[in-house]
Amino acid sequence: MTFLARNASKTVPLTLVLILAVLLVFGIVSLINSIPLSIRTIYGAVRFAGFIDPRGDPAEIEKLKKIAETESPVPIQPIFPVRVSSIMVRSLVGKWDFVILAMDAPQVPAYLERVGAADLQGRLPRPGQPEMIISDPIARNLGLKLGDLVLSPDNSEAYSPNPVRVVGILPTQEWIMVADREYYRKHHLPPVDVLVIMTQDPAKQAQFDVWAKERFSGLRARVTSYTEIRKQSDESFEVLYKILNVVIGMLVLVVTIMMGMLMNIYQGQRLQEFALLQALGYTKSTLLRRVLQESALVVVLGWLLGVLVSLGILSILKASLFDPRAFSMHLLDARALAYTLPIPIAIFGAAWLTVWLRFRAFDPVGIVDRRIV
Amino acid sequence: MIVARSVSLRYEDHGREIYACREIDLSVHPGEFLGILGPSGSGKSSLLYLLSGLKTPTEGVIEVDGANLHRRTEVERAQIRLQRFGFVFQSPYLLGYLSALENVLVARPEVDRRREATEMLDRLGLGEKAHRHPHELSGGERQRVCVARALLGSPEVVFADEPTASLDHTNGLAVVELLNAFRGAGSLVMVTHDRSMLNGADRIITISDGQIVGESRGPADS
Repeated sequence: MTFLARNASKTVPLTLVLILAVLLVFGIVSLINSIPLSIRTIYGAVRFAGFIDPRGDPAEIEKLKKIAETESPVPIQPIFPVRVSSIMVRSLVGKWDFVILAMDAPQVPAYLERVGAADLQGRLPRPGQPEMIISDPIARNLGLKLGDLVLSPDNSEAYSPNPVRVVGILPTQEWIMVADREYYRKHHLPPVDVLVIMTQDPAKQAQFDVWAKERFSGLRARVTSYTEIRKQSDESFEVLYKILNVVIGMLVLVVTIMMGMLMNIYQGQRLQEFALLQALGYTKSTLLRRVLQESALVVVLGWLLGVLVSLGILSILKASLFDPRAFSMHLLDARALAYTLPIPIAIFGAAWLTVWLRFRAFDPVGIVDRRIV
Repeated sequence: MIVARSVSLRYEDHGREIYACREIDLSVHPGEFLGILGPSGSGKSSLLYLLSGLKTPTEGVIEVDGANLHRRTEVERAQIRLQRFGFVFQSPYLLGYLSALENVLVARPEVDRRREATEMLDRLGLGEKAHRHPHELSGGERQRVCVARALLGSPEVVFADEPTASLDHTNGLAVVELLNAFRGAGSLVMVTHDRSMLNGADRIITISDGQIVGESRGPADS
């Protein structure tokens, strides 16, 4: 270890390469992971209820409601209708549609309690009025505060025939926008309700969702559930993750070759040391162990520092770019961490191989016996 | 005691057999200063490496205390070199990232001999420079550190391969005198092409073309 401590000109570049490689991989994977995470976060409130819409045909509503009420495999709360419209929210990869739920005033408190957003800064929308409550992430994402316009006639991405203002902000991490159904019935098209179905036991919502997907298949109905959103997001990112695996694999290969070459050069510069020590009576295995311990230390140190630097940079990025817009990102992303592991392992393997090959045919006398005169 | 019995070291060069040493019989007695004298390329260094177990003879046997050295495993031979032998090489090889004191300690890593190493450097006139690194020492000083390293732990035999080759005559003589003075009860086997370096030798053998061609009892007999 003395060698590492007193040869900073060799140790530092090796460690830096490792730090950069880990930073690169950790950063890329964390940022890519933030996209599906954002999808799941933005539409996370859907996990508290199932939504069934009659694909534009209001006549189907009663039939669908009856099926759910009579055939649901788990006890459900009274079903209530909502009207919906969309608004564009900002994400890391552009703008996404987000759904505004317009519900009758008596339903709002129960729904908010269900999603764990019972506290409210401001007040609830009044029946028939162009008013809306939004949650804190929406407020940050769209830069809104109490009294601001959220929908307006001249905004194609957030349209309503009348200016709709924010009257309440929910201090929750769920993404929620709730307007008044009476106002929507008067001013928004299409004139079609969507059914909101919440199980009595929130833990059984996923079970209901799976049943609903199967039961309403083939009928004039579309089921929207968190299970389905999650499945679709996983499927749509499957190819991206395959590409990511290839990119990371290539990166690990390049970094490993580069580090292997650097270590080979550095070990080559120590041949005289190894020859001397072996001539004095150190065994090959002792020297090999020493070199491998040093390599392991550099590799572990480089990886740890790489992870720490990555966490530092991602923290800054999260605080300055993600949090103000309510974009989601796990700082200590287990998947990103796992992707960095092949780097130290491959580099240590390359170091071991390099040193082993060198020691295999090593003759110390050939070096200490070099003549000067 | 180290005994060489009909020892040869042969190698091939472009299909031609060359003998670095040929059928050498030789004993290194406890406590003696044995000089191996010969011109460049005569095989004297090869003989030293055979006697110390660093090279394996192609024919013949090297015995240490009656046991065939090359029947032992590589690890056992390394143990013998580390615990019972000391080495001074032609070039003053030191580890650049260690101080003079740490370089001396390299020779006996198994026990803490810091005090003994410090005393050894002091006796060799390097007490003030014990914490300097090799690049801060002169050639003669570096070779004296090598001498201290070889003598640390009072080895049974010190092997010195042309230890004065990289030094001027005065410094060379000083190094040999130090080796001879501080080896204690141990033997000293020294290879050189310069007879004047063997003034203190108990016995001198002369090598030519890989064979012993002469033996004398100290410089006075030669």
